[in-house]
Amino acid sequence: MLLDIVVIVLRETLEASVVIGVLLSLSRHSRIGFGWLFPALAMGIAGAWLYGANLAVISEAFDYTGQELLNAGLQYLIYLQLLLIVLLQYFCPGPACASLRPLLVLSVACAVSREGSEIFVFYAGYLQGGGNLASVFTSGFMGLAVGMSAGAIAYYVCVSLEPRAARRAQSLLLILIAAGMTLQATGLLIQSDWISAGRVLWDSDPLLEERSIVGQLLYAVFGYESTPTSVEVIVYCLALSAMTLAALVGSSSRRRGGASEVMA
Amino acid sequence: MKYLRQLISLPVLLCAAGALAETPTFEIVIENHLFYPAELEVPADTKVRLVVINRDDTPEEFESYELNREKVVMGGRKTVIYIGPLDAGVYPYFGEFNMSTAQGKIIVK
Repeated sequence: MLLDIVVIVLRETLEASVVIGVLLSLSRHSRIGFGWLFPALAMGIAGAWLYGANLAVISEAFDYTGQELLNAGLQYLIYLQLLLIVLLQYFCPGPACASLRPLLVLSVACAVSREGSEIFVFYAGYLQGGGNLASVFTSGFMGLAVGMSAGAIAYYVCVSLEPRAARRAQSLLLILIAAGMTLQATGLLIQSDWISAGRVLWDSDPLLEERSIVGQLLYAVFGYESTPTSVEVIVYCLALSAMTLAALVGSSSRRRGGASEVMA
Repeated sequence: MKYLRQLISLPVLLCAAGALAETPTFEIVIENHLFYPAELEVPADTKVRLVVINRDDTPEEFESYELNREKVVMGGRKTVIYIGPLDAGVYPYFGEFNMSTAQGKIIVK
C-alpha cells in the first residue's frame, strides 16, 4: 500500500514538476526572475483544494461528464499558455517579455490544480478511512520528492546549456509535454463520449508496455499512449505542429532582431 | 497506406445525448474496495456505457491502461465511463486508490 501511495503521488506530481523545472530555467535565461513561482503554487494549491473538495458535484455535472470536461479544458488551456510561452521567450528582453510572467503563473497554477486535486481526493479518502497518518504522509512525501527531483534535473540540464541550446531544449520539452496534454485531453473527451473514439491506429504495447515503469513515466510527462485512436493522433500532430511553428517563428524573429541590431 | 486512410477518415463528432439511446449500459459496483462483477462481458465492436457505482465511503479511481480510461468516483456516488468500440479480448482495470484489492476485467466477445 505504501508503495502504491508513492506511485500515486509521483504520477500526479511528475508532469507539473517537469513543467515547473523547465519554466524556471526559461525564466532564468529570460532574466525575469523566479518571483512568479510563489503566487503560481499558491493559486495551484488553492485550485487543487477547490477542485478536489467539489469533485462530487463537478463529476455529476453535464450527465456525469463534468470531471472529463474540466480536466480536458484545463489541459487545452495549459497547452495554449505553453504555446505562447514558447513563442514569447524569444522576445526577451523586450516589451513582449512582460506577458510571460502572467502566463507562467497561470500555466503552473492550472497544472498544479489539475494534478493536485487527485492527491487531495486520495488523501481526504484515506483519512476518512482511518489510515495510518504517519506512513501515508511519509510515502506521499517520498513520491513528491522523486517527482520534484525530476523537475530539478530538467532545470539543471537546461541551465547548464548555452543560452541558444537551452532555448531549443526548453522549447522541445515544452512542445512534447504540451502536445501530450492535448492527446490526454482528447482521450478524456472520448471517455465522456463528446467525441467518437475512431479506430485504434496501432498497438505499441509489445514494444513499450504502458503499465511498465518507463511507460507510466512517459505517460505522466509526455502523454504516452500505446493504443492511440485516429482522433487522438490527429490532435497530437496538429498540437505538435502549431507549437513547433510558434518556436520557429519566435526563433527567426529573434535572429532578425539580432541581425538588425548588429547592422545598426 | 492503411494508416493514412484511417487518419484521413476524421471521426464524426457525436452528440452525447443523442448517442445515449442506442448505447448498451452495464453496471460495475465498488464495495469493500472490490469490483462487482470482477469480470464483465460486453459486446465487441460496440460502444458501451459503464455506470460505476461506489458503495464505499471513500473515493476510488477506475483506471485501465488497456482501455485508456481513468476517472475518480467519489464515495457513495456513481459515475459514467464510455468504452469501445473494442476488439474481442480481455481488458483489465483496477482501482488506483486500492490497487491490491480492486481489480477487474472487461471481457469483450
